[in-house]
Amino acid sequence: MDRSPVAFDQNFSGAASDFPALLRHKGLLAPAAANPLPQAGTPEKTWQPTEATTILAFKFSGGVLVAGDRRATAGNTVVYDRADKVLEIDRHSIMAIAGVPATAWEMARVLEHSFQYFRRTQLQEMSVDGKVRALSKLLRDNFGFVMQGVGVVVPIFATYDFHPKPDARLYFYDAMGAQFEVTDYAATGSGSPAVRGILYYENNWGAKPLQELGEDEAVSIALRALDTAAESDTSTGGVDRSGKIYPLIKIVSREGITTLPENKIAAVFRETVA
Amino acid sequence: MIEEPYRWVEAIANRREYIEAQLAPGSPIASLGYRDGILFLTVGQTRQKIFEIYDRIAMGAIGHPGDIERLRMAAIELASTEGFTRSATDVSLRRLVHYSLSPVMKSAFEQVYGPPYLARMLFAEVGEQPEGDLFLRVEYDGEIAANGATYAQARRDFAALSGTQLSREMMEAFLASHHAPDANLESGLNSALDAWSIGHMTLQTSDAKEPPEHSAVRKHRQEQLATAGIEAAVLERDTSRAIRYRSLSDSELRPLIHD
Repeated sequence: MDRSPVAFDQNFSGAASDFPALLRHKGLLAPAAANPLPQAGTPEKTWQPTEATTILAFKFSGGVLVAGDRRATAGNTVVYDRADKVLEIDRHSIMAIAGVPATAWEMARVLEHSFQYFRRTQLQEMSVDGKVRALSKLLRDNFGFVMQGVGVVVPIFATYDFHPKPDARLYFYDAMGAQFEVTDYAATGSGSPAVRGILYYENNWGAKPLQELGEDEAVSIALRALDTAAESDTSTGGVDRSGKIYPLIKIVSREGITTLPENKIAAVFRETVA
Repeated sequence: MIEEPYRWVEAIANRREYIEAQLAPGSPIASLGYRDGILFLTVGQTRQKIFEIYDRIAMGAIGHPGDIERLRMAAIELASTEGFTRSATDVSLRRLVHYSLSPVMKSAFEQVYGPPYLARMLFAEVGEQPEGDLFLRVEYDGEIAANGATYAQARRDFAALSGTQLSREMMEAFLASHHAPDANLESGLNSALDAWSIGHMTLQTSDAKEPPEHSAVRKHRQEQLATAGIEAAVLERDTSRAIRYRSLSDSELRPLIHD
């Protein structure tokens, strides 16, 4: 239907149900891939887990720390060494992405606008459960593309919940959109097995549990974990010692989101990692 | 019958009279640019009248709640899709009002078999510098009044919305002589409260030539604030964050009021 931008009709009865629905109505967003089943004639298994990166997040005394390496790859080629995979969605929410960047960044953009659209139209903030579900729905809508071998995204979502009990919250997802809330840590991407091992070890037998770490200690563990992942995973950049490129680290707390400045990360790296 | 030109003009005139009568009791909204942003203020309302539209755009409205709601939703929808497909910096109040809202409101007003919008709106967009602040008042017939300089009027750092033209002009005259664009929030707030009081006091009169006395304004203001709450919001000039709209609570503002 050709709909001029001004011709809102006389039966307009409130906001479109959600922002992605509005975008689809206006033809600005690809329709949800409806049939995730492989078509006849296509190879039986087209989807390989190719989310080539490492993303991690864990709770510490100052909130949730979310860290991601900076490398973007295409097959065996490194295409970019300053990719941002830790994205701010609103004042208290971070989405960290492993997977196909084009899809992931578009998802982050839709999500960011969805939360704001909801707040502006409904005159109230979307609940944390609503936000977590919104991302889940985007992943579900995308699953058809995942099965066609393009567009897999496996994110981590960190946010601060003020109701009913103020607390930082951390979720990870699978490519189909199932969400899992974690109490301590989460990691996704090709380098994540090593990271999960380290975080499990630190949490149980380290100097203290992750939740009791101070900020510098937390940054130090995040850097060590990413460096370990990079040691065996070619798709993870870790810390580029010669190029002086450090992972991107953000912290979600009651006060909002802090992006750690590079010189601070560099200082912790020099003292405790290098 | 209405196809005859004279009947059409008559129908439009009747419609204008009807809408003006409907809007006349509307409590005023004062808006002014100050050093750190733009302040929107009204007093004692039972339903919200000041709204966030997009990152740098806010709206105040009087009129029928159903119509205000439709226009507000349309504005948010248009701004959000533009911001999503292009970028937040491409969302401009000038384009939103001139190309989208005004033509639709004019058509609705002039198509005498359909319902008009019973609403009068005031939009503001915060600029990087105070000189970049834009205020646009949109009437039910699509007429637009801007704060820019014309041959007859210097550029204004404020705007007002009220139920009657007289009331609005009284508010504007007060703000023109009492408000300085480099004011801080505290003095901006007090100017806005005085302007609101003047607008509120002159709503009932149709023949006032002079604005009310200062002491009468203060008295009215105190009486109103004793029972009613303040509804206010700011668009902050602070460029370090994308979303500039912030609503201010009554309790946050009370300590800043000079009685």
